[in-house]
Amino acid sequence: MRKRNNIIISFDDEVPLLQAVKILRESKEIITDVLSPFPVHGLDEALSIKRSRIPVVGFIFGALGAILAFGFQAWVFTVSYPLIIGGKPFFSVPTFIPITFEVTVLFAGLSMVAALLIRSRLKPDISFKPVDERITDDRFVILVDAADEKTTLNRVKSLLSGIHTLEIR
Amino acid sequence: MDEQFDFKKKYRNILLILITGGILVSLAAILISKPGASRIWANVLLNNQYFMGLSLGAAFFLAVHRVSQSGWHTVLQRLPDAMTTFLPVAFVLMLLIYFGIHNLYRWTDNNLSDKVIEGKKAWLNIPFFFIRLVVYFTGWIVLTRMMRKNSGALMTSSDLKYHNRKILFAGLFLVFYGITVSASSWDWIMSLDAHWYSTLFGWYVLIGMFVTSLAFITLLIWLLKRLGYLKYVRADHVHDMAILIFAFSIFWTYQWFAQYELIWYGHLPEETSYYITRVHHFKVIFFINLGVNFIVPFFGLITFNSKRQIGWVAIIAAIVLIGHWIDYWLMIMPAAAGDKAGIGLLEICMTLVYGCLFIFIVLRSLSTGPLVVKNDPYLEESLNYES
Repeated sequence: MRKRNNIIISFDDEVPLLQAVKILRESKEIITDVLSPFPVHGLDEALSIKRSRIPVVGFIFGALGAILAFGFQAWVFTVSYPLIIGGKPFFSVPTFIPITFEVTVLFAGLSMVAALLIRSRLKPDISFKPVDERITDDRFVILVDAADEKTTLNRVKSLLSGIHTLEIR
Repeated sequence: MDEQFDFKKKYRNILLILITGGILVSLAAILISKPGASRIWANVLLNNQYFMGLSLGAAFFLAVHRVSQSGWHTVLQRLPDAMTTFLPVAFVLMLLIYFGIHNLYRWTDNNLSDKVIEGKKAWLNIPFFFIRLVVYFTGWIVLTRMMRKNSGALMTSSDLKYHNRKILFAGLFLVFYGITVSASSWDWIMSLDAHWYSTLFGWYVLIGMFVTSLAFITLLIWLLKRLGYLKYVRADHVHDMAILIFAFSIFWTYQWFAQYELIWYGHLPEETSYYITRVHHFKVIFFINLGVNFIVPFFGLITFNSKRQIGWVAIIAAIVLIGHWIDYWLMIMPAAAGDKAGIGLLEICMTLVYGCLFIFIVLRSLSTGPLVVKNDPYLEESLNYES
């Protein structure tokens, strides 16, 4: 990936952050990323980020897990190795339900974690240098894409003159 | 913010006509089809339990949200508050059981030489049955009344002490309700099959109550929105109601299955008798119960968008309401009415009578004050809520 030049705007509260995001988007600045110590309500809408598709992944893999678990048990207990347990019939649905349920949850859960990691390109040896150490603590930061750093910096500064920012650099 | 529900004469008359008509048709059904005393009393018990459950579940809804100090439900709180005003009526209706107790409960027969029932005499005897009934209802009525009074006081006063008191009574209600709802379900439903017992039963009934109340609150929101009220109740609030219906329908199924699975696996005659009566004689209703209360809300409310459309959520809520009526039917009717059990004109008309009475009382209570408690500290949070 090409190294990007970014203008870094930091805040100590979520309210000015949201205002700034709205102003920057109205004036057609390209926001690379917004970093915050907790999920900010309304930020996704302000950035017009689409809803995550992770629930769809969860549903598909959950359904797959349910079918696999149920099918496997049905096959084992009727075809592969029929056993009489407690005088119950070989194909007895109630006995299959707990395991089907557990495997459904397992598949849904693991697939959603995997989807998240793959989609956000997170892997064990990833190297990451934070733009500002304090964003890992209590700072809110907006990154604005800057093709030409000087002019963008001045433009952003004048745009956000009415808002309480900690630092623009 | 001061908008008030206008319980117009037109609505009143419609409900009163339905109530009288329902009573007349029920009487006609009794005279023509001669269903037998047990089935009539079982209907009374079934509807008492169902509509009392709607009130109690609403109080539980409020109490849980108040104790956890949640903000989102604040704009809605007058609806469940109004639903709890049915409890005194339910008390009177439940006392009617006195006249039919011998038709309903086998354990009331003194000449029964039954070792198992004799062993349960300490709990299952008529005087203690009614003492408990009075204790349950007194506690529920007093505590819900105190909750209602203190949240009502915030309509005029802005004193924070009412808010704190409301939370205190919510906490007391939860403790009292948690114990009594189990005990009352043993008394009124489980003792119909006097030999049978399930340690999960109280929980199962509680969750059923909660789901029905959630569904009814959603229907009330839909109704009031149709009539042009509650403009400030947005998709976000509906979304949360739908999430609760969805989650607790799954939890209800979990309870249902936990009870069924253990009894099915254990295969002890005194436990399986409950399911044998129901599965063998009422197979269709038995599986409809599971399908309507699990499959419909699960697939109906699984996506994000489906939870935010009030019209759609109201349809699912209505289906769930019917489903849980069938659930209570399966608990009560096969045990109380035996071979005569069925779903016919009598059941439908009596439920209609009770339902119209319930709606009448809820709407009348709702019309006595503004739809929003305007000095509630969480009101602003609730108005700007995002789910």
